[in-house]
Amino acid sequence: MNWSEIRPELLTGLYETVAMVGWASLIAVIGGVPLGVLLVLTDRGRPLQNALINKVIGFVVNVGRSLPFIILMLALTAFTRALTGTSIGLTGAIVPLAISAIPFFARLVETAVREVDGGLVEAVQAMGGSTRTVVFKALLPQALPSLVAGLTTTVVALIGYSAMAGAVGGGGLGDVAIRYGYQRYEGGVMLATVVLLVVLVNVVQLIGDFFVRTLSDRTTRSAAWLRAPRRTRTTVTAVASVGLVGALTAGTLGLTSEGDAGSDETITVAATPTPHGDIVKFVADNLAKDAGLKVEVKEFTDYVKPNEALANGDVDANFFQHVPFLDDFNKKKHTDLVPTVGILVEPIGIYSKSVDDVSALGSGDTIALPNDTTNEGRALHLLDDQGLIKLKKGTGLDASLNDIADDGGLTLKPLEAAQTPRALEDVDAAIVNGNYAIGAGLTPKKDALVLEKAKGNPYINILAVKKEDRDDPAIKKLGQLLNSDATKKFMEKKFPSSIPVFGPVK
Amino acid sequence: MITTKGLTKVYRTRDREVTALDGVDLHVREGEVHGVVGQSGAGKSTLIRAVNLLEVPTSGTVTVDGTDLTALAGNGKRAGAELRKARARIGMVFQHFNLLSARTVQDNVELPLEILGHSGAERSRKALELLDLVGLADKAKAYPAQLSGGQKQRVGIARALAGDPKVLLSDEATSALDPETTRSILQLLRDLNRDLGLTVLLITHEMDVVKAVCDSASLMKNGKITESGALSDLLATPGSEIAAELFPLTGDPLGAPDRTVVDITFLGENTGQPVISHLARTYNIDVSILGAAMDTVGGKQVGRMRIELPGPYEENVVPIGFLREQGLQIEIVGAADAVKDTQLVAGVAQ
Repeated sequence: MNWSEIRPELLTGLYETVAMVGWASLIAVIGGVPLGVLLVLTDRGRPLQNALINKVIGFVVNVGRSLPFIILMLALTAFTRALTGTSIGLTGAIVPLAISAIPFFARLVETAVREVDGGLVEAVQAMGGSTRTVVFKALLPQALPSLVAGLTTTVVALIGYSAMAGAVGGGGLGDVAIRYGYQRYEGGVMLATVVLLVVLVNVVQLIGDFFVRTLSDRTTRSAAWLRAPRRTRTTVTAVASVGLVGALTAGTLGLTSEGDAGSDETITVAATPTPHGDIVKFVADNLAKDAGLKVEVKEFTDYVKPNEALANGDVDANFFQHVPFLDDFNKKKHTDLVPTVGILVEPIGIYSKSVDDVSALGSGDTIALPNDTTNEGRALHLLDDQGLIKLKKGTGLDASLNDIADDGGLTLKPLEAAQTPRALEDVDAAIVNGNYAIGAGLTPKKDALVLEKAKGNPYINILAVKKEDRDDPAIKKLGQLLNSDATKKFMEKKFPSSIPVFGPVK
Repeated sequence: MITTKGLTKVYRTRDREVTALDGVDLHVREGEVHGVVGQSGAGKSTLIRAVNLLEVPTSGTVTVDGTDLTALAGNGKRAGAELRKARARIGMVFQHFNLLSARTVQDNVELPLEILGHSGAERSRKALELLDLVGLADKAKAYPAQLSGGQKQRVGIARALAGDPKVLLSDEATSALDPETTRSILQLLRDLNRDLGLTVLLITHEMDVVKAVCDSASLMKNGKITESGALSDLLATPGSEIAAELFPLTGDPLGAPDRTVVDITFLGENTGQPVISHLARTYNIDVSILGAAMDTVGGKQVGRMRIELPGPYEENVVPIGFLREQGLQIEIVGAADAVKDTQLVAGVAQ
């Protein structure tokens, strides 16, 4: 990728990160401040003392704090949909980000408010103030510097969380880093996103620190800020405010542009970045227009979400999986997704840096293999075919380590699929998916010790739709485009490991 | 002006009860400065907070300016509108000032007025007037952090006066200040008491504060008031601990068995009289002075003296009678001890 290709991706990513984090922070403030204040007010010896409410809020906050963000995000799918009408994209990411940030910020608010001298509360009560007065005239204004410091921490944490938004197609800089830098091995993109994230976090911290200093200068004897000329103070405040408002506006624009994407004639296809996303992009950019179609690609870095998004109508089709995987999903989730056309097989292969032939592998050697259900099964069957291990009789495509009858003295190391080529230095051999092998700079046909056969291979990657859309003319047309000669040429050139296997499925 | 009847406060923790107030009857007259003294833990702090119901008493009543505040308080921790309105008419100043550091001096003084719902212009006018009253007109725009301790307490006093209170509660207002500043703050309280007719209830652990500003005082011990009254009356009361604390006399009270130790208190015009030389000349006895002090208490001259007369008490009945005739407060130190000893023996015998 050259700079002119990278730049729009980075800008979009930055844009999406600011939008996600901006909105989630705003909601975190709206939700976290009341919760944090209530946690203090309902505590023992406080004006609204109520052990039950205090414990309930405390528990809810703790549950929110304890869930890993990625789990929370995937668990909230139904809630997000009910709330916003979609569980994917920018909007789909903002809801879980906000939900995770509210309890995080609430605890920081609690700490900040608790630190306010109890004497001040007493003073306000003594002058006839109500609890509301205590909160709005004493607790919150006095805690303001700590609240701003807490908000800064929250925003920085949210920037970190937002990197996981790719799982729901939320985009953002972290997602760009994963999709391009990690999965497509674009080192330049990786570096650029990291630099941008570092800059972003530092800018946020600087702005936060500035406000904290400004606010707390009043409470210290030095009060340098107050001694500065009024004009300087006005200017600095104005610049900071414009920066903040600008960031939020950019975020809002990001949301608006998000809203434009789903017009009716457009087919939205969920895909994992390589090669699927790139193939759909090729069709969308080069072939769709002449065929009277409008195709949008929504890239996901997760294998569950694209099917969920298809099942609940957030996307119209997806292209990332093979039939065994789809069958497994349908069975487990009780969905009715069907394959339309087959597009390619990406043969999985055994690679090694230390041996030149499969026969050299044997007892005492360590082999890395993918750890997701289908790829693990696929890898185990390949090892079985090569006689390196023996699977139990009647083991299906979903073979796992438990189905091994005889491991031939090998140590098998399941890793995240994308990690297997990176592990080549550390193990004697690794079983690597075609797309990741290409990404890692390997040439499957040349470098693999052995490759899966294409003929009779059940792992054909397909275009899947909802059952009722199977005969939709637009879907049919998209299927034809994906099965066209032009696409075949593109695939053979761009992804030499893949083997086009066109035609309707079943 | 302030009356408490049978005021009791019991703190219950999981495994024990602490009685902070144990049936306190306190009476503060309109326009006087009343000091409650006692050691820390005696219940002073709980008492002053019970007066404006910051501490809701377990039982008993509090009446301020004819209003029964305990009747206004609900049974929960939250104060109802009626009680809040009543509180607004009771000023309070605190040991650690309790100013809002995020607000300017003027805004701090305006806070009670905001709560009372005054308009902006009205608040500003009143705040500046009060700041002028406490001598801080030039610090209106400063933040509390830029002030000295004494200045902060002046702001605290200005703020306490914002609701035009008839009663000012002072919770160890000078305990965090140096002696010099303490004097000037006490002087301010005294002036406000005189000029505005403000009734002041203050709690303190420093006798000097009582000596400097109070008209009357109470002593608290273990949640009870053990003595109470106008300072001049207390000084005239034999065995008054407040009087003894106000005027600690040095000199060994346990003289030889054939000697009589007498504490004499001079009040008002008596202080000018040459009583001792008169005594010596009239009865031709040698008087040794063990200790003596002269001071101003509650604006009046007071003197205390500890003298020793030769011979046991029986031989000195006539000279002591002479001192009593002069209108002096007389206390026989050795005799009192003798009585105590008898009681002690009796107690053990039981």
